Amino acid sequence: MGTFILKRLLSAIPTLLIASLLVFSFIHLIPGDPASVMLGDMADTAEIEALRVQMGLDRPIWEQYLTWLGKALQGDLGESIYFQEPVTRVIAEGAETSILLALFTMVLIVLIGIPAGILSAAFHGGKTDQVVSGTAMLFASIPTFWLGLYLIFTVAVGFGWLPTSGFPSVLESGDLSNLKYLILPAITLSAPNSALVVRLVRAGMLDTMRDDYVRTARAKGLLEHKVILRHVFRNALIGVVATLGFTFVGLVSEAVVTETVFALPGIGRLVVQSILRRDYPVIQGIILVVVVFYILVNLIVDIVTTHLDPRVKMA
Amino acid sequence: MFLSPFRARKVAALGLVILVVMLFCALFAPLIVPHDPNAMQASARLRPPDAEFWFGTDHAGRDLFSRVVYGARMALITGVGVVVIALVFGVLLGTLSAYFPNLGIVLMRLVDVLMGIPALLLALAFVVVLGKGLFNSMIAVGAIYITTTARITYGLSRKIASETYIEAITSLGAGHPRILWHHVMPNLVSPLIVQATFIFAFAQLSAASLDFLGLGLPPDVPSWGNMVAETRRYITRAPWLLMFPGGAIILTVFALNLVGDVMRDRLDPRFKDDLARW
Amino acid sequence: MIGTTRWGRAVRNLSAATALAVISGAAFAQETLKVAITDEPPHLDTQMTTATLTTIVNLNMMETLYAFNEAGEAVPFLVASDELSEDGLTAVLTLRDDVKFHNGDTMSAQDVVDSLDRWGAHGGRGKLLYDMIESVEATGDAEVTITFKGVFGPWKNLLAFVNGGPAIYPSEIIKDRGPEPLAPEENIGTGPFKFGEWRPNRYIELTKFEEYAPHDGPADGYAGGHEALVDKLQFIAVPDVGTRVSGVQAGDYDYAERITGDLYAELNDDPSVETIRHGAPTMPLLFFNSAGGIFKENFALRRAIMAALTPSEAMAIAAGPEDLWDAQGAFYPKGNRWYTEGGLDSFPQQGDPDKARQMAEEAGYKGEPIRFMLTTSYPIMYDTGNVLVQQMKDAGFNIDLQIYDWPTLVNRRAETDLWDIFETTHGAVPDPSLFTFLNDNYPGWWTSPEKKELEAKFVGTTDADERMALWTDLQALAYEQVPVFKPGDVYLYDIHGPNLEGLPEQLLIWPAFYGVAKN
Repeated sequence: MGTFILKRLLSAIPTLLIASLLVFSFIHLIPGDPASVMLGDMADTAEIEALRVQMGLDRPIWEQYLTWLGKALQGDLGESIYFQEPVTRVIAEGAETSILLALFTMVLIVLIGIPAGILSAAFHGGKTDQVVSGTAMLFASIPTFWLGLYLIFTVAVGFGWLPTSGFPSVLESGDLSNLKYLILPAITLSAPNSALVVRLVRAGMLDTMRDDYVRTARAKGLLEHKVILRHVFRNALIGVVATLGFTFVGLVSEAVVTETVFALPGIGRLVVQSILRRDYPVIQGIILVVVVFYILVNLIVDIVTTHLDPRVKMA
Repeated sequence: MFLSPFRARKVAALGLVILVVMLFCALFAPLIVPHDPNAMQASARLRPPDAEFWFGTDHAGRDLFSRVVYGARMALITGVGVVVIALVFGVLLGTLSAYFPNLGIVLMRLVDVLMGIPALLLALAFVVVLGKGLFNSMIAVGAIYITTTARITYGLSRKIASETYIEAITSLGAGHPRILWHHVMPNLVSPLIVQATFIFAFAQLSAASLDFLGLGLPPDVPSWGNMVAETRRYITRAPWLLMFPGGAIILTVFALNLVGDVMRDRLDPRFKDDLARW
Repeated sequence: MIGTTRWGRAVRNLSAATALAVISGAAFAQETLKVAITDEPPHLDTQMTTATLTTIVNLNMMETLYAFNEAGEAVPFLVASDELSEDGLTAVLTLRDDVKFHNGDTMSAQDVVDSLDRWGAHGGRGKLLYDMIESVEATGDAEVTITFKGVFGPWKNLLAFVNGGPAIYPSEIIKDRGPEPLAPEENIGTGPFKFGEWRPNRYIELTKFEEYAPHDGPADGYAGGHEALVDKLQFIAVPDVGTRVSGVQAGDYDYAERITGDLYAELNDDPSVETIRHGAPTMPLLFFNSAGGIFKENFALRRAIMAALTPSEAMAIAAGPEDLWDAQGAFYPKGNRWYTEGGLDSFPQQGDPDKARQMAEEAGYKGEPIRFMLTTSYPIMYDTGNVLVQQMKDAGFNIDLQIYDWPTLVNRRAETDLWDIFETTHGAVPDPSLFTFLNDNYPGWWTSPEKKELEAKFVGTTDADERMALWTDLQALAYEQVPVFKPGDVYLYDIHGPNLEGLPEQLLIWPAFYGVAKN
């Protein structure tokens, strides 16, 4: 187990290097630079040029990359041009919102997606299945920004039940009631993703149902719901775990739109804003962190699925 | 023949009908619309739906119905463009990687890296570098689906390439391009058609999200995403402005999913798992 | 089940923390005023940017030697009194002696000199003044002497304008600083609030400065005696205007800036919010490229474009209800002391495509593409530009509309050969010399000999009547050579909860949160 994890982690290093190089060169292709963003409308070219030199933006790109890489290896992701703060702090600031939102959304996805999927598979072909599958497909077809806007319009402004936007920190204040700020965003974000999970659970279970041992179990006269829950679902679970892992990673990216609609201080909005501000170090830092996160989740998914299914050998 | 599965599933037939209507709108937009979709009129701003303006007018006094109809055209163009980009590059990457294993290791690693970068961010980066424009927007959204298409093609091609008859032909001295073209490709067609339908559907959502973030099509282009983005500040004052273009997106994507589902069951029962991931 | 217990413990810890927070919260009840702004400012160093967002935050913590009162006059603020020599070349400023910085030090003449020097060397607006200045010297503990190269009319106005203006910092922070903006915590000033913290992506927090030494006069515009009536000010970036509105309606924010025109009537009727209109207009400006491209030295073609436009159409679509816009071409609104009708005969009331087409032909136009750069980052620019472009196309101009995000546009407009027209907005300025289109280095580069001659005369006099007459000529020239086209004035408005007290009837230029209490 230990060597397996070590091997996987080592093999991630080239991936990270390629990713960082790609991102770095890509970012510097973007026209416009942070110096002119910071100095605003009235600044003349000489001032902007002077600031560029001061920020080291005039040096060749490969030199900037090597400097950045050297520091990144020591855990220093540089300083945000815009906020003049360490990138790690800027990211950490957004991480709380993003992680809490993702967790909240995952809870909803699991609570809605899995039971609905089981129901759909158990009665596959029937009315229940049609209704559940159809609803899932409809929700998968709604743009998140549209759903979010109407939720704000009705639930938050119309009825005044929940806050409209923003998110005060929970960790800092310890005030769990602040989680109410994340309810509407989590619903918005979970809608298309729950729909996905419903379909996957259903497909996975239908597949397993055709397996021999399920037929055997049925033949032995076990009650149908026991067969479904004990045998079929347990086996389909492997696929579901893998999906949930990737959904979790995907949430970080999909949250861009949701965070924009609800003005949440998360990583997604931070990266969009940073692109518009040409805050290179922050963009690089976030992509790096997200890719590392992706690799870790990948690894965890592999370990968990192996754990659930001893037949899968560790490569 | 082709229609038979739709007869069996009424909901899917509904999907097909919606798509036909959308296609009709897209192709014959200029003949259908009662007003010029871009004609601005300050005196007719924010009118609720009535006999003259069926879907009302937006903040610039433009006829929303005409714009939504033209939006179908943008949706069709975007969808086709994205599918072509994703399929051409994805299939090329996938089959080459499967057929030349050494190259494959490198290419698939690259694909993995790209899949690690959140899809929407990748698209964002493309748009910011390339600038706004219809073609650039297609490239940006297409880039998201190149990786998934490459992965799927890679998996399928490997399966096919390892089948005994291909080995037999190879030993008979058939050249690589010939084998790829005559034996591997035909087996990919059905699953890729299904894949294309889903890409088409989700490209609509991705493109609309980019439009919404102000990083998609130029804002003067009447796409459904742009309409929602431009008018979202009027949601309390004129909720219909978001209702109609948003509804058009939902209907189209929903219809595509319905049809895609039926096609998957019909054309390609084997690869359900891969494709279920959309 | 280890997982469950671990979760259980976490939840218990958190609720303990909540209980603690409730207890301590009761002990230190602090009033926080929450302001929803459109985006995070680029930085807080007001000397180095004209960004409005920076000004809105900065205004509450930094102060200037002079400040504008209700009537729009620059009056002494950190200065106690001043004296201008007979020849108009030497100004001796006596500083107030009781002014304290946020770090506890008392403001001295050296602090003032070093602050002005940095602003003059690197600030965009500072250069305007320093080009005309021989020296700024500390001639006593509380005395600063400014020597001018020639008579320079607008010096007080420049010293009073906070936006991109000379905020006064302690010498040890500001001395010999370059163009790189100061770090947030370096913004140590003399204002009623001091910098607290900047949580990236969350908020900027200012806290009440307990030892603030107010000016002894009554509060008057941005001048006079100020007072912090809340303990904390939080500026929160909420880019979506709908979210800003619903946030104030629901009580999540106390104040929100820049609301869309079309909601005006509805919000005026809404008891959960109050609207506050900006007293000074924001004007969209179309800049013509005088240094390159098709409009270089072709003033007739610019006038042809102007003849094609119907500004009221563009203004109505961009700003909504009629009390929020005025399609008028003077660079100052009616009622302002700088309002003049010079050149306004040429301002198009109703576009005439045929006349425009004919004028274009006479100007030698043969359907060449005209590159128009527009941004979507700011709705007013986009909405007006979009309509005006349509009108130009209707008159047969071959417009190549290029849409960029703001930083890209700023970058491109610096090149003389990449564009023909770009649109931006311009805020209210207290003195005509502050208009960007009069600045030789500003993209557009209006440097015709006629303009240079008039401008030199204009800044070279302090006589009010003479300055007014020259400004009238300058505006008339601007309608002849069309360095910019101004379709009209937009009056923005902000909203706030009904529980805020002390805000003016309408804003002078920006909202200030001293003197504002929360009930």
